[in-house]
Amino acid sequence: MTTSTSITRKGLKVPSYILLLTPAVIFMLLMYAYPFLASIIRSFLDKSGTFSLENYVKTLDLYTKDIAFTFSVTVFNTLCTAILAILLAVYFRIRQNRITRILSALYKLPLFIPFVVVAQMMNSFLAPHGLLNVALAQLGLINLQRPLQLFNFTGLSFGFLWKQVPFAVLIMHGGFQMIDNSYIETARSAGAGMGKVITRVLIPMNKSSILVSLVLVYSQIVGTFTLPYMLIGGKIPTTITVDIAHRVNYFRDFGVANALGVFSYLIVLLTAWYYLKTKLGETK
Amino acid sequence: MKLNYRPILIKTFELVLLVLSFLIIFGPMTSLFLWSVAQKWYWPHPLPQEITFAYWKQALGIEKSLAIGAVSIVPAFLLSVGIAIVTVIISMALAIPAGYALAKYRIPFGTLVMFLFLMPNAFPQQPIFVNVLQMFTRMGLAGTVPGVILVHILLGLVFGVWITSATFRSIPPSMEEAARSVGATAPKAFFRITLPLAAPGLLASSVFVFITSLDEFTGTFFVGLPFVQTLPLTLYSSSGYNMQFASVIALILLVPSILFMFLIQRVLKAEYVGGMG
Repeated sequence: MTTSTSITRKGLKVPSYILLLTPAVIFMLLMYAYPFLASIIRSFLDKSGTFSLENYVKTLDLYTKDIAFTFSVTVFNTLCTAILAILLAVYFRIRQNRITRILSALYKLPLFIPFVVVAQMMNSFLAPHGLLNVALAQLGLINLQRPLQLFNFTGLSFGFLWKQVPFAVLIMHGGFQMIDNSYIETARSAGAGMGKVITRVLIPMNKSSILVSLVLVYSQIVGTFTLPYMLIGGKIPTTITVDIAHRVNYFRDFGVANALGVFSYLIVLLTAWYYLKTKLGETK
Repeated sequence: MKLNYRPILIKTFELVLLVLSFLIIFGPMTSLFLWSVAQKWYWPHPLPQEITFAYWKQALGIEKSLAIGAVSIVPAFLLSVGIAIVTVIISMALAIPAGYALAKYRIPFGTLVMFLFLMPNAFPQQPIFVNVLQMFTRMGLAGTVPGVILVHILLGLVFGVWITSATFRSIPPSMEEAARSVGATAPKAFFRITLPLAAPGLLASSVFVFITSLDEFTGTFFVGLPFVQTLPLTLYSSSGYNMQFASVIALILLVPSILFMFLIQRVLKAEYVGGMG
């Protein structure tokens, strides 16, 4: 390892990595670590700055439903993403023909579309008189007098899956591609059917990229503000992120906003721990 | 003779999947496009009854009229691009040295430094913006362009550090050592050997930071409102009252994202893409 040093004006020797890292680390401490700690500490302070659980009492009083809603949206969509993305990624791995090539290109498209655009898209597509309802009515599947109401759990989930399944497929697909064909052939020649090959060989061998993609999907859903804000807004139940925005914009109530923030940290605690553990392990 | 139905079944299934995927992915996009050119669209008509490009012309600054409630988005677009350029320059100036140090040196407390750069991906970022807003309000930075740029740099720096350090890690240390052994100083070896080799990765991460800034909504919403109207915020504020105008902006926002991302997707690790928007 290199041990080059730089000499400062005072003649002190400072390892050069410290000079290289300092600006970025100071920026992160001021703009990330400080606000992060502040969000936790301030959630335990009342308006006069003394310790109190007032913010939590108020949060549980007003927002228990929304916290439960956020948690259930997150869990539901992570599970759906897991099922759909694993099926698609496995399918792309075992069948490689023109259709899978078109499909895998198609599923890359939503990756690059920002959430604010996805939100606007879903806002017009899923509206009571939007394209989806009109199209379903043309097919005779629904009556336009009573259109599907989708500005709720269902529509939000459609939006999340539209964006997150392609992302999970991309990561999982990369992992599946790394598995050599010889493993599949060996299992098959030992008499395993395709189902066994998938559940006993492909999925276990790709466990880490499956888990990492789902962990990222999970924490992104908890933290996404745009989509629920533009789709559900202030209706009840809504997500924690929307409540935080309302607390800040309408009431300037940073205490409750921070308590809500701490609840969103709690929801991702396990996945964050897993993510940090794997990532720090990788770089060692 | 026994007919084998399996291949036919599989092909049918594949075609159904293909059609369904097309409908699901392009359906919402089609809705956006139809709205952007809709003059009259009364339900239950499946398609707009009258088509107009007035909203496009108005948004792009080609025409000016007060009748349809759309304005030119050129100022918002220029503001967004300006913010993105400054963000890229500062984030990369911070990220390249840090990424290099993380890739090439064994650093005491290195895990702690890595931890700091991983935290924003592991936890929701919105509470950060809320507390940055409080900090910026005290400092007079709330609702200003520099305040918004600082938030964008935060997001850009996190991705920048990870992509640049991965890039530097992929360059074998033997290259730089060879240059040093024939007498090049450390900076010279870096600028002549390592930097050119890392250029594609660094360029990709710059483009990525640029797009992240261009598309950023949540941080700008908290820190920049009500004075900093970037393109995503213009989209948001028009979506409530003017569906056509909002759809035009959304489609315009799609163009750079799709364009740039197709250019750089080969260089990018899949995980970074997820942090977008």
